[in-house]
Parts: sequence; structure tokens; C-alpha cells
Amino acid sequence: MTLIKNWTLNVLDAFHTFKDEKLSWKSNNQAREHQLKHAQVLAEKALEAELKKRAVQIEHEILLLKTQNDTDLAMFKTKCKQDIKDYKQYLNALDQLKKSIQTSYTHLPEAVAFTIHHHAKHLLNQMWEAKDFEQKMRHEMQLIQFMSTIHEEAHHYLADSGQSAKLPEKTLALIQKH
Amino acid sequence: MIIKLALLLVCTAFAVFLLVDFLLWLAIPALPNILTQVGIALFILAAVLLLSAGVFMILKLILTALSTYLSTQQRLHRRLLFSDAKQQQLKQLFYFRSVQLNYFNDLKRKNLLRANNKAHLKALSAAINKDLKQLKKELSTVHYQQLQQTHQQCLKQHDVNALLKLQSDIATLNLTDDV
Repeated sequence: MTLIKNWTLNVLDAFHTFKDEKLSWKSNNQAREHQLKHAQVLAEKALEAELKKRAVQIEHEILLLKTQNDTDLAMFKTKCKQDIKDYKQYLNALDQLKKSIQTSYTHLPEAVAFTIHHHAKHLLNQMWEAKDFEQKMRHEMQLIQFMSTIHEEAHHYLADSGQSAKLPEKTLALIQKH
Repeated sequence: MIIKLALLLVCTAFAVFLLVDFLLWLAIPALPNILTQVGIALFILAAVLLLSAGVFMILKLILTALSTYLSTQQRLHRRLLFSDAKQQQLKQLFYFRSVQLNYFNDLKRKNLLRANNKAHLKALSAAINKDLKQLKKELSTVHYQQLQQTHQQCLKQHDVNALLKLQSDIATLNLTDDV
């Protein structure tokens, strides 16, 4: 009986010691715990503020991006419209060129006029479809050179009132070269 | 705490069952029956207590998760993610819109070119027809028909290069005849 009583008392004693240790640890570290809790709250507040700031920043960025995208798209649309207009004008200019060849060189076989026109159109499409800026410029130069040669030769032919060569030889040479 | 209590109840129930065994061994008549019922009641109580502790813990976890989900931090974080996704979406939308504009622009240009090519093909065909009619008397019927056939075939295929070649061939024939 005494053994059971001693054993129970030992168990109770151990239990109380454990409780005391727990309490003393709590009282020793209370200030630190409080400090840590405070730091946690502060960190949470700081994170919240940072997140809020970032959200506002992103909203602003989105607004800017939207405006920029709208402007860029509007500009791109205008550029596309202008491109089409330019292309149309080029095609009309080439048609005019063909007519001018036909009226200037009255004895010129129609096949030559058609070939010149076809080649000019080929150069125009090459210029339009070039991806590289440098290539585009090169094709543009070729087209301009080709057109100016035709005009020059037609002008000379009319000025000499048909005394010079019957065929636009320089133009034909350019076609051969290209 | 609840788990401790439940364990204590289980231990007590075991102790009661041991006591019941001891009383049965001593052949005491009425008490074991009552004590068995007490032991069973203690067991059931422990089980109910454990079950309620489980339910309570699950509920607590759900509530914690819910409060975390609805907390300002999480809300802000979600908002940030949403804004980020929106930004990416805007960038993609811009890219696809420019691709679309480019596509339609190219289509318009090709339509213009097609219309122009068609008009010139018609003019070229008319010129070939005129030249062929002029040469009809000088050419043999077979040769004339062959040229006509080639002309129709090239026209059908919209082959400008072949038509140009045909026209230059006819022009050469014309020139030879003139000489």
C-alpha cells in the first residue's frame, strides 16, 4: 500500500515539476514571445502594404499597357491602310507606265510592253514581300532605277521623234540583268 | 486535453473491467453486472469524446483555412496574380491583333494584285488574239490551231509568263513574215 502511495506521490511530484518548468519557461520567455508576436504582426502589415503597393503599380502598368497597345494598334492600322494605298498607287503608276510605253513607242511589239510591265510588277512585289529592311531598300532602288530608265528612254525617243533606237534597249538590258 | 480525457476514460474502463473479473472470481453476484455496464458506458463515452474531438478539429481546420483564404494578405495576393495574368493576356491580345491586322492587310494587297493581274491577263489575251487573227492567213491551219490551243491553255492556267512567251513567239513570227 505504501509502495502504491509512494509511487502515486512520485508521479504527482513529477507532474508538478513538469508543470512548474513549463510555467517558469513561459514566464522567462514571455517577453520574447510577445516581441516575436509583435514582429510577426509588423511583418504581416509590411507585407500587406507591399502587396497593396504592387497591386496599385500593376494596375497602373495595365492601364499604361492598354493605352500603349491601343495607340500602337491604331498606328499599325493607319500604316496598313497607307500601305494598301501606296500599293494601289504603285499598281496604277505601273499601268500608266505601260500605257506611256505603248503611246511613246508606236511600233513597239505589244509583247515588249507587257514584258516590261510584268517585270516592273515583279520588282514591286519583291519589294513589298521583302522581310528584311535592307533587302526592301535594295528592291526599291531596283524598281526606281527600272522606272526611271523607262521614262528616260521614252523621253529620249520622243525628243528624237523616233530617230533613236526602236526598242527601249536599256530597259530590256535591265530585265535581262535582273 | 480532450484526447487525454478520452484515454483516461478508456483506462478507467479497463480498470473497471479488471475489477469486474476480480469480483467474478470472488463470486460476488450483483455488482459485476452493474460495473460491466459502467465500463461499457465509459468506453462509449471515450469513443464519443474522441469522435467529437475529431469533428471539432476538422471544423477548426476548415475555419482556419477559410479565414486564411479570406484574409487581406491572401486576397491581395490573389488580386496580384489576377492582375499579372491580365497583363500577360493584354500582351498576347496585342500580338494576335497585330497578326490579324497583318493577315487582312496582306489579303487586301493580294486581292488588289489578283484584280490587276486579271485585268492584264485579259489585255494580254486580247493582244494575242489580235496578233493571231492578223497572222491567220499566213499560218497553216494546224499551226494556227496549235497556237490558239496554247493560248487558251495558258489563259485557263493564268500563266502570265507562258502568255508573254507565246506573245513574243507570235511577234517573232510576225516580224519574220514582214521581212
